[in-house]
Amino acid sequence: MNGDSERDTGLGGAGGDDPVRNRDVWLIVPCYNEGTVIEEVLSAARGTFPNIVAVDDGSADGSAAAIHRSGAHLVRHPVNLGQGAAIQTGVEYARAQPGARYFVTFDADGQHQVKDVLAMLARVRSEPVDIVVGTRFGRPREAGDQVPLIKRIVLRTVVLLSPRTRRLGLTDAHNGLRVFNRRVADELNLRMNGMSHASEFVELMDTHGWRVAEQPVDILYTEYSMSKGQSLLNGINILSDGFVGKRLPR
Amino acid sequence: MIKALLLLAGAALVAFFLANRRKARAKAGVKIGFVLFVVFMVYAVIRPDDLTVVANSLGVQRGTDLVLYALVMGFAFVTVSTYVRFREQELRYARLARTIALQHALRPEDEADDRAMGPAPDDDDPLRR
Repeated sequence: MNGDSERDTGLGGAGGDDPVRNRDVWLIVPCYNEGTVIEEVLSAARGTFPNIVAVDDGSADGSAAAIHRSGAHLVRHPVNLGQGAAIQTGVEYARAQPGARYFVTFDADGQHQVKDVLAMLARVRSEPVDIVVGTRFGRPREAGDQVPLIKRIVLRTVVLLSPRTRRLGLTDAHNGLRVFNRRVADELNLRMNGMSHASEFVELMDTHGWRVAEQPVDILYTEYSMSKGQSLLNGINILSDGFVGKRLPR
Repeated sequence: MIKALLLLAGAALVAFFLANRRKARAKAGVKIGFVLFVVFMVYAVIRPDDLTVVANSLGVQRGTDLVLYALVMGFAFVTVSTYVRFREQELRYARLARTIALQHALRPEDEADDRAMGPAPDDDDPLRR
């Protein structure tokens, strides 16, 4: 996909891409009206990760049936609740499964890549970190990068405005690709149902004192994922959620 | 000057009630405040001139202006507290839906029930048939 073979050497650690050795890993895939792509994404990921739970967040299309066909575990919200709620549901399902030790949040639209997950997993397994977050900005910009300019500016601004994000040394506040261990999964309690869960995740890292690391990842902006991307105005909703969050019950 | 003080006092009151909303004392405070508000308004309707006297003593020119300030403050308080209350409700509702979802989780080896696999109702317009 890109010519950078140096980063791929990180896969040599425990696990690798052998499905049998990734039995202790659970992929959590929130899904809302992704019926056209979800089966392909899940089937591809299942080649490496045998345990996948896809949370159908009350989709009005055939997503649920597609998830079941792909061989993933299916948890269905009876109504649409939002991506944050779906991730929380998926984590609660996965952490109740015997033998689950590592957890991955992975997008349903195919913008995340298995090779990045493997590199992040190797770090959580071998380094003293609780959670590894993907970043689109962790290295000098390359010709092959696909993050659109306006999106880069907005994401950078979000990081600059959030003292917490800077203190934790994060460069990309809203990356959906995360790999974490049992401790994080057990303590995770996302209360923002919608798109604010990324900020809430950062807040939880701070309050629980999880050891955080970042890993540069490649995001594939397909036409499909672009058409479903977050609108920039949504940033205002995320800011107001930050205010309400302090007043919600635990 | 006095207007700034009035506004500040109102804002502080709002912040106090929002921070302590779940405590019984703050709840009782809201009820007492509401009763006082109604009594005050009834009195103001009956004797508008007295209101102007009160307003003047606070440095506000007209009684109606004082009522307007009070209303704006009250409206802001209601807006914010309703918003927070809706969000709380949403969280409870999410937890209820999550419990149901986890109880009905489908493992890959399970047989899919065709009826249960159908599309969920369109949430953008729940009242549509």
